[in-house]
Amino acid sequence: MYPDRKTIRRRRAIFGALVLTSLALLTVWFGEPAGGALHTLQRGAQEVFSPIQTGASRALKPFRDTIAWTGATLSAKGENDRLRDELGQLRQELAATQTARRDVEQLQGFVDIAREDRFPQGTAPVTARVIARSPTVWWSSVQINKGSGDGIAVDQPVITGDGLAGKVTSVTGGTATITLIADERSSVSAQVMPAGADGIVRPEVGNPNDMLLDFVEKGSRIKTGQTVVTSGFSSSRGLESLFPRGVPVGRVKEIDRSELDIYQTVHIEPFAELKRMDFVQVLTAPRPGPGARAEVPSQ
Amino acid sequence: MTLSRSAALRVGLIVLVAVLVQVSVVAQVPIFGGRANLIPVAVAALALLGGSLTGAAAGFAAGLALDLSMGMSLGGSSLVLTFVGYSIGRFAELRDVSHGLLPIAVAAAGTLGYDMAYGAVTFMLDIEATISVLVLRDMLVGVLLNALLALPLFALVRRIVRPLVPEGRFEGRRRGRPREAGPIGLRGLGLGGG
Repeated sequence: MYPDRKTIRRRRAIFGALVLTSLALLTVWFGEPAGGALHTLQRGAQEVFSPIQTGASRALKPFRDTIAWTGATLSAKGENDRLRDELGQLRQELAATQTARRDVEQLQGFVDIAREDRFPQGTAPVTARVIARSPTVWWSSVQINKGSGDGIAVDQPVITGDGLAGKVTSVTGGTATITLIADERSSVSAQVMPAGADGIVRPEVGNPNDMLLDFVEKGSRIKTGQTVVTSGFSSSRGLESLFPRGVPVGRVKEIDRSELDIYQTVHIEPFAELKRMDFVQVLTAPRPGPGARAEVPSQ
Repeated sequence: MTLSRSAALRVGLIVLVAVLVQVSVVAQVPIFGGRANLIPVAVAALALLGGSLTGAAAGFAAGLALDLSMGMSLGGSSLVLTFVGYSIGRFAELRDVSHGLLPIAVAAAGTLGYDMAYGAVTFMLDIEATISVLVLRDMLVGVLLNALLALPLFALVRRIVRPLVPEGRFEGRRRGRPREAGPIGLRGLGLGGG
């Protein structure tokens, strides 16, 4: 049976309406301020979804652990062949043990990082578990199981046990959305230690293991292996200062010194494992005073 | 498939569960450096079973739920998934979709289309960074994982919406009006017809 003209017109009309609605949503969403109707609707929806997501995340954790373990086992297949028989009896126990150990390691990292000399003092970190991740390959955001009820607010910095992870971009009562430093919109002002060279950390989208420290003056003496920390401000379009000074960001792994460019570009490997983090800490305390901040380098 | 109330309910349920399971569980399980994505596979399955309208509606709903729940750019995912669902639905309306392995190809194509189109939309909207080849690797792994998941997921979706799918939907439809048999029972030998 073949559709008549009316059916075809109806089909096209509905398709067009859906596309136009999507485009309208995009246009309004980008055009309105953070307190606009669509953003409010989105926060409301997150309020509704968050208990379901948290419940699903908890209920399906054993399944997730088993799958994660299976993936890890498959990727190390060659190494594990010899031990497969023995492992067969211990699989479930091993999955639980590995997961618990990984959790402990990540939580221990929070203790260690807070003890570092450069780490900003006076913050009140709130530890949270990652309950959802953006499914795109761009690794732009994750959701955590703590929200405004725990003192979390928009624009607060977020770290893992290893270093800077991102910042809070949306909060509901019980959850918060973290935009990662690997997001294409992210830019964080940073310094190479101990030289003190300033620059802006930008992502190389799709590769969270390689980030760029841009706008570093050519005269600055930078060596591979040096540590990069936040310099006390975030320059998203150069307007805001969000991150406290001294949060570890990454380690210098390569330096591009093109003779034609005014600045040198430094490739850094972030400390935080953005693809594998299960816990994060939100630094909820008020930002340090102006004395602890550096100035934005002129560009 | 006409989107009756019962059909819309089932489609909505499938879409909602797919989004929830995806963001709460599947997206947190890296396999070979990539992640499966149930959402385009669910939309593809619904489109293949229900046609272009169902596909577009399911894609729009899935995208909207994803954008709302994850705080992503509202409308971006729904735009892309509407196109994915509609395209696969049109394909199902115009071609023979009876082959048993077709879901694998459709799921792979749907996932690849979603990843590429979403990337394109993201770039058009707001991006100021260089792109790594790692993106392509992750896309490829994601497509392969989705292709592996396609058969069981399609079977599950089919089981849920089976009462709403017209009988014979997957039993050898082909493009073009079938030619009638001639007087002695062989095609092409009919007199004055065909």
